[in-house]
Amino acid sequence: MNHFHVFFKKELRESVRTHRLLIILTIFFMFGVMNPLTAKLTPDLLAKFLPEGMIIELPVPSSLDSWAQFFKNVTQMGLIVVLLVFSGILANEITQGTLINLLTKGLSREAVITAKYAAMLALWSMGVLVSSLVTWGYTVYLFPDGKSHNLVFAVFCLWLFGAFLLAQLVFSTTLVKSSYGSLIITGAVVVFLNILQVFPGVQPWNPLVLATHNMELIGQNLEPSFFARPIGLAFLGCCLLVVLAVVVFRKKQI
Amino acid sequence: MHVLEIKGLHKSFGKNHVLQGLDMAVPSNSVFGFVGKNGAGKTTTMKIIVGLLKADRGTVTVCGEEVAYGHTKANRHIGFLPDVPEFYGYMRPREYLQLCGEIAGLPPRRIRERSEELLSLVGLSDVSRKISGFSRGMKQRLGIAQALLGEPRLLICDEPTSALDPVGRKQILEILASIKGKTTVLFSTHILSDVERICDRIAVLDGGRLVLSGTIGEIQKQYRSNSFSIRFASAEQAAEFVSLPELGQAGITVAQAGESLTITLEGENTHGQMLIDLLSAKQITPERFEVMEPTLESLFTEVVQ
Amino acid sequence: MEMLQEYWPFFVPLIASQFILAVTALVHVLRHPNYRFGTKAFWIPVVLLIQFIGPVIYFVFGRGED
Repeated sequence: MNHFHVFFKKELRESVRTHRLLIILTIFFMFGVMNPLTAKLTPDLLAKFLPEGMIIELPVPSSLDSWAQFFKNVTQMGLIVVLLVFSGILANEITQGTLINLLTKGLSREAVITAKYAAMLALWSMGVLVSSLVTWGYTVYLFPDGKSHNLVFAVFCLWLFGAFLLAQLVFSTTLVKSSYGSLIITGAVVVFLNILQVFPGVQPWNPLVLATHNMELIGQNLEPSFFARPIGLAFLGCCLLVVLAVVVFRKKQI
Repeated sequence: MHVLEIKGLHKSFGKNHVLQGLDMAVPSNSVFGFVGKNGAGKTTTMKIIVGLLKADRGTVTVCGEEVAYGHTKANRHIGFLPDVPEFYGYMRPREYLQLCGEIAGLPPRRIRERSEELLSLVGLSDVSRKISGFSRGMKQRLGIAQALLGEPRLLICDEPTSALDPVGRKQILEILASIKGKTTVLFSTHILSDVERICDRIAVLDGGRLVLSGTIGEIQKQYRSNSFSIRFASAEQAAEFVSLPELGQAGITVAQAGESLTITLEGENTHGQMLIDLLSAKQITPERFEVMEPTLESLFTEVVQ
Repeated sequence: MEMLQEYWPFFVPLIASQFILAVTALVHVLRHPNYRFGTKAFWIPVVLLIQFIGPVIYFVFGRGED
């Protein structure tokens, strides 16, 4: 068996036994249920808190509101939880020394990085899948209005953005010693991408739109082709960051 | 045949020159004690041998294969036990050994057989709880099992006994002694009694180089000072012997403790025979006449200052 | 009450998943009494009373080494 396979198995077992998988699945499941429910209940709740006698026209909620909740929650809380859960995945092994026994048995360092990234991707994918399927089911149940389009593609864009941030996390975790340091670097990258949005010339390339413009896609206000360049760049970014992580990690004295 | 050969090894951390031209050779099937003060560079040397650190200069050869940092080919000959081995706490011992075996590329059946053999060697056969519940000593023993899994020709142990209580230490030393002859063992320590207990060769590291190396017998012979201990029948007889003019010569120091004398001869043409001649001329039969062997401790303090 | 009846297909799975997470965290808190910070008396209410976030915070920041 090759080292990637062996170490990937170990990472999956670790995710199950340290409850990483459980956390991600339940949190994303919760989002899946909450998204349509919040969309449904928000107008009612608002109405209750309005002063007596005041009448405003509250829009009737639709499936679009439910998906808007999905993209808001998964990009914010969802991604934060995933990054937090994985922040220590390499740093802890290095500070505790658990890699030493395996590296001295000839475990290749490429396998360590790639298997860890693959395990992160696997859990992130499961989370996104669970959350989007549950949201989809309840949305169809509550709002059978057929107003939402390009769902699979919009979710894919968000997934890819998450994959890009995880690659960034893996790379930064080879640069700094502490798990918090790698989180700070990853956070800084997100801030940086947000700043780049200010420049109109950069915008059509910025991977950030993969997580910010999903609703335009669902409401058919943007063509899918709008995302071609950010997708290409995010994909390249993932590959480049993982390769860089391997290069840095190979030189690291442990 | 040398299992391990180190030539001209240099390593610095910033301005701290830890190794300054270390030369060392470990012959096969020896139990090799690697002795030095804390911070002398024992761990650094070992980490370079197993490829965890990059040497600044010099070569390390394991079973005829040169160690290159970043490549782990030579590691298949080596089993390594770090000073504090760390494991995945959520695994059980057999699961952990299986992971190690798969990484080392052993066939599944072999992994199962070796795991059972080794777990019984280190006394963990009946332990199936997760490693997170292990004591320090149990982790050290599991560490030996993982190091021996691939039947390495060389087992490197970094201070395997330092952190343990006396019972744990004894167990580890017994395990190391039991694999003598099948595997060459290189272990570092600053506990000299451990060395005396199981090693047949030692090397002392100080100031980034070896200051002493060889079999324990050779070293003791080489450093045998011209010291003799003589016990007489009575304290009076001892005092009488001390007062002899022959013992008043330059280069002879005598210390008396009751009926025993410790005599050190430093002059060039004085050796033990002179004392025997003197005893015989005075018709004294001592109760004991002994050439004093230097203890490892006295040697160690002498060479590392 | 009326709302609960109308929306039970939402509340039942939500409560069930929160329950699973809280119980898993509680068992871990009780069985691994070394935390990076805090005490048992601190973590038990955190994982039981703060829905979803409590157990996540415990597993990410609070749990000691395994």
